[in-house]
Amino acid sequence: MELSWEIILMQVIMGLALGAIYVLLASGLSIIFGLLDVLNFAHGTFYMLGAYATFVAISLCGNFWVGIIAAVVIVSLIGALFEMTLLKRLYGTDQIYPLLMCFGLSIFLPDIIKMIFGLVGKVVDYPSLLQGATFVDNLILPKYRIFLVVLMAVVLLALYLFMKKTSIGMIIRAATRDRLMVNCLGINVSRVWTVGFMLGVGLAALAGAVAAPMVQTIPNMGDEMTIEAFVVVVIGGLGSLGGAALGGLILGQVVSFVSLLAPDWSNVSIFLTMALILVLRPRGLFGEEGRD
Amino acid sequence: MNAKKQTNEVAAYKPHSWQTALEFRAMWAVLALGIVLPFLVSKPLATEIMIYALFALAFNLLLGHTGMISFGHAGYLGVGSYAGAMVVFYGGVGVWVSLLAAMAGGALVAAVVGLLAVKRKGAYFAMISLAIAQMLYFLALSPFKRWTEGEDSLKLPPLSVDFPFHLNLSDQTQLYFFVFVIVALAVLAQWRLLNSPFGHALKGIRENEDRIRACGFNITRIKFLSIIYSGLFSGLAGGLLAIYLGAASVTTLFWMTSGVVVMQTVLGGTHTFMGPFIGTMVFLYLRNNISNYTDRWEMWVGAMFMALILLFPEGIWGTVMQKIGERRRPSAS
Repeated sequence: MELSWEIILMQVIMGLALGAIYVLLASGLSIIFGLLDVLNFAHGTFYMLGAYATFVAISLCGNFWVGIIAAVVIVSLIGALFEMTLLKRLYGTDQIYPLLMCFGLSIFLPDIIKMIFGLVGKVVDYPSLLQGATFVDNLILPKYRIFLVVLMAVVLLALYLFMKKTSIGMIIRAATRDRLMVNCLGINVSRVWTVGFMLGVGLAALAGAVAAPMVQTIPNMGDEMTIEAFVVVVIGGLGSLGGAALGGLILGQVVSFVSLLAPDWSNVSIFLTMALILVLRPRGLFGEEGRD
Repeated sequence: MNAKKQTNEVAAYKPHSWQTALEFRAMWAVLALGIVLPFLVSKPLATEIMIYALFALAFNLLLGHTGMISFGHAGYLGVGSYAGAMVVFYGGVGVWVSLLAAMAGGALVAAVVGLLAVKRKGAYFAMISLAIAQMLYFLALSPFKRWTEGEDSLKLPPLSVDFPFHLNLSDQTQLYFFVFVIVALAVLAQWRLLNSPFGHALKGIRENEDRIRACGFNITRIKFLSIIYSGLFSGLAGGLLAIYLGAASVTTLFWMTSGVVVMQTVLGGTHTFMGPFIGTMVFLYLRNNISNYTDRWEMWVGAMFMALILLFPEGIWGTVMQKIGERRRPSAS
């Protein structure tokens, strides 16, 4: 196949858009793990919920943007409910029990969604503003993909400012370092955990919501995404936002180019990249030394 | 972090000699039950129980005994299954060689996982093992389709064994007892392994890794070996699965297989020897019956699993052993 630079650029944009989804998903996973020491096995499930919540909200109110915001809020609240009622009881036990609780949820919820919405995929339309493409010279720039990249940048910047500049962000960073000390300072760490879990789940829901027009919204769409989010954070280093961002963008490019050149290998390439990084740099790109 | 570690130690299950004795009797009781099992439930279900019970025991070698959370055991089972089926399909060898190949296949994948992840703890090990297993699933699904037949699964001809005596493995009863004897031997082998100095070192790692390291043990080597043993027995289960199904199927490699073995093991009790076996029996029996009444098996199993984690984190057999321990304590002290 002739690889003109237009095709390459197109593929880079596709990869960036896919990477943007990965980044949103993995940064949420990373926040939850850093703060709560919980590996959220249901992360992809919340991604799926985000997509379905968008579908429901759009069919009720008809507006894409309202739909996305509603989806993020609703799914964050579901996440908070899950954290407060079920997950919270398991803190302080072996690390595996919260993990298994999330795993149980990831089996339970998709089946509920299957019961309500059926097996057939739901279609979420592109917002009219972002349909089609713009042309620069003879370059085709799909508007929605560009929007995703911008959205990711904005969310990352907002997240960075939130963590660095606000007092709750400071408390979250402190609780990630040393929860006992934060507790001693008279801060209700339990509440901070809930907020952190909501934040992480909200990011997963946002990823699902904006991915909904591009992919098929089916009950099991999250299962693969959980595993891919894991790969991103293994590449980037668990608990590091910068790592999640860089890992997500790398993976987006890898998938985009491998699907062009060797479609059979596109799914495998994700994991080979991870294996390669693990061999070259076992703690991940931005992983802290000694943090497991 | 320190305070959390201490609660872990207090919550951890401390084995005593009466527990070993009880486990030993339970093991023989369950194996004795195995002789009559095909007359209590259907023969295919009984065979399936035996194979998955072996798989769950092998899985628990890592989770319960060494304390490593693996979410990639589908990889060991599946590659064992394919290795066993492929040597029959392409090499035309007999059943015994096929089972050896299956064990080698499982151990090989375990070695790869071990090399990449043995030094990683907890969540990292879970993620890396899951990712490698999923990679194998996608490899079998499409790039290696020429050899694995992809979604069509690699179908085997009817098999029989001539040594030490003739068995027709297409016959359900003969197949069951063939599987049962191999599983029983593998269970005994695992019992020996866990009650050897090596097995005690594994438990030591689970309870307090730093202390075992201070005692002069090579932690990485012991963990690596335990991953290999786990892969070996899982591979054997995979080889038996290929014979039982008459095919190596790509769904064996799917991540859900890893999830199911986690659920079976936790249901029985991770901190016990026979827990995974008992958990598998209950799990598969329930699945077989509940799916007669409802299509919503996943919803029920997910809800029940979450309730189990909250209420009985030690599982069925673990909780029974705890209760017996509580009753013994007043007289013992």
